[in-house]
Amino acid sequence: MENSNKEVLFGLYDDEEILLKAVSQAKADHLNIMDVFSPFPVHGLDPILGLSHSRLPTAGFIYGAIGALTGFLFMTWVFTADWPIIFGGKPYFSAPAFIPITFELTVLFASVGMVFTFFIICGMGPGAVNPILDLRITDDKFCIAFDASHASDEEVSKYKSFFSATGASEVNTKTI
Amino acid sequence: MERFVFDSKIKNVLFGFMGLGVLCLAITFFIDDELHTRFWTNFLHNSVFFTGIAFISLFILSAFITAWAGWYALIKRIWEAYSLFLIPGLVLMLIVVIGLWGGFHHLYHWADAEAVAEDSILLGKKGFLNKGWYTVGTLIIVGIWIFFATKLRQLSLREDENQGMNFAVHRQMRVWAAAFLPIAGFSSAAIIWQWVMSVDAHWYSTLFAWYTGASWFVSAMTLTIMTLILLKNLGYFAKVTPEHLRDLGKYTFAFSIFWTYLWFSQYMLIWYGNVGEETIYFRERLDNYPVLFFGNLVLNFVLPFFILIREDNIRKYGTMMFASAFVFIGHWIDFFLMIKPGALHTAHETLAHHGATAEAAEHAAEAGHHAASTFEIGFTVPGFLEFGTMLGFLALFLFVVFRNMAKAPLDAVNDPYYAESLQHHA
Repeated sequence: MENSNKEVLFGLYDDEEILLKAVSQAKADHLNIMDVFSPFPVHGLDPILGLSHSRLPTAGFIYGAIGALTGFLFMTWVFTADWPIIFGGKPYFSAPAFIPITFELTVLFASVGMVFTFFIICGMGPGAVNPILDLRITDDKFCIAFDASHASDEEVSKYKSFFSATGASEVNTKTI
Repeated sequence: MERFVFDSKIKNVLFGFMGLGVLCLAITFFIDDELHTRFWTNFLHNSVFFTGIAFISLFILSAFITAWAGWYALIKRIWEAYSLFLIPGLVLMLIVVIGLWGGFHHLYHWADAEAVAEDSILLGKKGFLNKGWYTVGTLIIVGIWIFFATKLRQLSLREDENQGMNFAVHRQMRVWAAAFLPIAGFSSAAIIWQWVMSVDAHWYSTLFAWYTGASWFVSAMTLTIMTLILLKNLGYFAKVTPEHLRDLGKYTFAFSIFWTYLWFSQYMLIWYGNVGEETIYFRERLDNYPVLFFGNLVLNFVLPFFILIREDNIRKYGTMMFASAFVFIGHWIDFFLMIKPGALHTAHETLAHHGATAEAAEHAAEAGHHAASTFEIGFTVPGFLEFGTMLGFLALFLFVVFRNMAKAPLDAVNDPYYAESLQHHA
């Protein structure tokens, strides 16, 4: 999240069940939710929010495939062209012996690639600015946030009545 | 409460396939060589395969109970019914035992007293590989498995009658399940050495028991998926959602990879070590069974890997049915490859030894140089008779399973994890 001087109106909930109900209610009322924060992944939240499946696994598969190719081709190049050595009377090109390295590089490429992709997509990593609405969101509170930068008074009161109707324990505003 | 009704329509289909199996076994018996090698290898192959599936189902149940898993509570009756196939499984294996004592078959080289007497390797293994231990091992080990299977089933049924929030029965189940896990680990290895690995009596691999166990595991999972989809189509298990299917698929995927890992570890170490006594196992299979040898890897690794890796595939009933059927056949072929080459070799050697008839002399000449190097349906590839026999055994398996399933409600509503299973979200 970049620092964009957004005025955020957010409500804190005590329980995931209340949060799920509130999010469904917001969708039914056609309120434009900016984001939802929770200390842990809440089951069933993604479909209610209408989020599509993450494409990170696909990226991981591609990284893995690149890793497998790199490992296998590198071993082939080393043992057939660059530095051919006979081990135990085996031919230079001995595919079974290359498999462990191929496997390791597949795992390495897939995992490291996915970590960096994840960091880049989420804007995380060294030097990233991460505005936090409320510290307790990482502990035991569940939060629904609305972007209130350009909201009219009428909209703000609508948000506030939504929070009180759905059982938010606290309602705050913060500029991030 | 919903109960499975084992109606005559399903029964007739199963009886039909059982008839087909018996017919195939009979045909095999009469067109066979004089030792009835093809008949007995088919019998051993399928008995070991389906008894193993029953054992693994019990292992899965115990592991899940011990791990406090919740998602499986909706479908645990399937595995309970599977595990009760151990009783007919013991009968099937006892037929092999009777054949061993009566000298009806020559599946095991170590059972041939004359061959053992002049063979230093077989003499060295005589303490474990003998008829007595084979019988005792089969009886005691499968006996213990049956004891635990009936115990867990009994407790699970008692739980059904339980009223209110009383977990006393479940606590008992937890103790029995946890006790079974180490027993299952050690005993399955011992029984696999006796039943399967000793077919190649000269050869051994320390990985073999795990590798075979992994094969059983994937077979059990794929068969569970197929049974579940079948029952769902018949209108049962309406509460089972793609979320449960996904977990079953996840296990199939994970253990397919685990199987491949073990298969490759066994292969690569032997290939690298290049010790004649060890490489002969793979030499034999690579030379005479190349299609099955590589087909085995394609069906059991490449196919499940690329199909089940996708999140959307793993939740589709049709795709899972298709993938499960192929992987199931793949592991059946895996067992074919474990048993047939060794047994055929033993048969050739036996025929060469006691070669009196003209046909035996012919076999003996063949055995002299390159045993089993020719293409033989039923040995180097499964023929129609093998598939027919497999369908027969499968029908017997399902018959026993459905009969046991009909005896209890399909929903274990008093299982403490039942509610968790209902709202399972993967």
